[in-house]
Amino acid sequence: METGQLVQQLTQHDGASDGSVLRSNVGRISITREASHSFFSTLKNDFGFDHCSLISAVDNQTGFELVYHFSIVDAAGQMLEVHIDLPRDTPTVDSITHLWGGADWHEREAYDLMGIYFIGHPDLKRVLLPDGFAGHPLRKDYVYEIHEEEW
Amino acid sequence: MAEMWIHMGPQHPMTHGLWNLRIKVNGETITDAVPELGYLHRSVEKIGERRKYFMNTTLTDRLCYASAMTWTHCYCLAAEELMGVVAPPRAQYIRTAVLELQRIASHLMWLGAYLPDLGLITGFLYGMRDREMFLNLLEIPSGGRLLYNYVKIGGVKRDLPPGFEAKAERVMQTLERRLKEYENLYDNSKIFRMRNDGVGVYSASDAINWGITGPNLRSAGVPFDLRQADSYDAYPELDFEPVTNTAAGGGSDCFSRYRQRVDEMHQSMDLVRQALAKMPEGRVMADSVPLRASGEAFRRTEDSRGEALMYLVGDGSDRPYRWKIRSPMFTTVSAAPHFLKGYKVADVPAIMGSIDMCIGETDK
Repeated sequence: METGQLVQQLTQHDGASDGSVLRSNVGRISITREASHSFFSTLKNDFGFDHCSLISAVDNQTGFELVYHFSIVDAAGQMLEVHIDLPRDTPTVDSITHLWGGADWHEREAYDLMGIYFIGHPDLKRVLLPDGFAGHPLRKDYVYEIHEEEW
Repeated sequence: MAEMWIHMGPQHPMTHGLWNLRIKVNGETITDAVPELGYLHRSVEKIGERRKYFMNTTLTDRLCYASAMTWTHCYCLAAEELMGVVAPPRAQYIRTAVLELQRIASHLMWLGAYLPDLGLITGFLYGMRDREMFLNLLEIPSGGRLLYNYVKIGGVKRDLPPGFEAKAERVMQTLERRLKEYENLYDNSKIFRMRNDGVGVYSASDAINWGITGPNLRSAGVPFDLRQADSYDAYPELDFEPVTNTAAGGGSDCFSRYRQRVDEMHQSMDLVRQALAKMPEGRVMADSVPLRASGEAFRRTEDSRGEALMYLVGDGSDRPYRWKIRSPMFTTVSAAPHFLKGYKVADVPAIMGSIDMCIGETDK
């Protein structure tokens, strides 16, 4: 399927907006948090996006933005970038681990470093930082503790 | 027998870097496994937000010491996409050639690390000896042996010197001769086959769902190679097809992963020859590279270990607002419990070794 056609069809979904074509094989779309659950099921089951490349969390000061990169494992290399906006006080979203097993640690990392909560994740805990760590360091309002010890 | 948890790591000969694998065993059989990371976390993404775009190439080199060139290249591609810069044709060909040389060096490093995991110390010496030739080759244009800082946003640091082709050809002929010897040695070794055949098996569909990419996916028979599927630099103009392997019973096992990397070394040498032969004349750096950037962009490349993806967000300043790295091994290691279960404790070094872990990029 052509990227333009793909984006056009996906924009028909509830809560989808801002469909555009980034490159010949890369589309982009925004989806509301409420509609994301059924949107991702459609993406996986009807459009054949079988590979979750990456989940990035971006702190844009007013809230958070989740950026998903999905692709199809074949020679055409079709990709789709999905954006979800999250409010700053309740950064929660449905987990996609039941659809893409590879999303497991990406969600844990977004929780660990950015404090996004994924509802339905089987084991949402820190993955890179130690368990007792306070705060989420990739947030823009994270304050560094400066340790000045005498040597 | 009662089940119990055992820690393999963070200090264990199997770990190749600092990480911990907790395994639950029933006698000698693994019933559950939990990989634990973070021992080498250097917060590369956060440091990158405080440095200018062109400074970050020194950081990306340090993501993986076995494959520094491919990581810096991935970052530069993403930054070029963000800034709207295109590297000149000659720079694209030089990149292609050095990337493939780096892939061979990385796979030789893997071969040299994997064989002692199985008890063949000689393999370590062979692998390291041959890798040395490729490090010497990469040192010629870049000046570095492990961390090159050679690929730049908008091109490469400097042109290849005269005579590089002849030197590369000599090195590759030597490796081809030696690889034949190694293949005879390992493929026909009864012990090597016993440790590899039918160990750590996963199917192609599982591998795709778990997010496994690169040689580990192609070794399950999936012809998915980003050099072809999401092509970049000079790869569209080169003639190649993704190589694949499958285990005797279908899917991927340790032996097919070993075969896959050896086959990829042969393929890479072919690609280096093609890139050096077709290389056009001209500049190696774009006319102007902006310092500031805004918007968002991402590019993905075929790293030595799988799909590398970098996502950059710019806010109009000279530093990235957000920089996200997809490490292929981060995802592959998360799937490891699935293909560790049911095997023996002694199979753990073989299985974890065969997926070619690099903790530097996994922990970021």
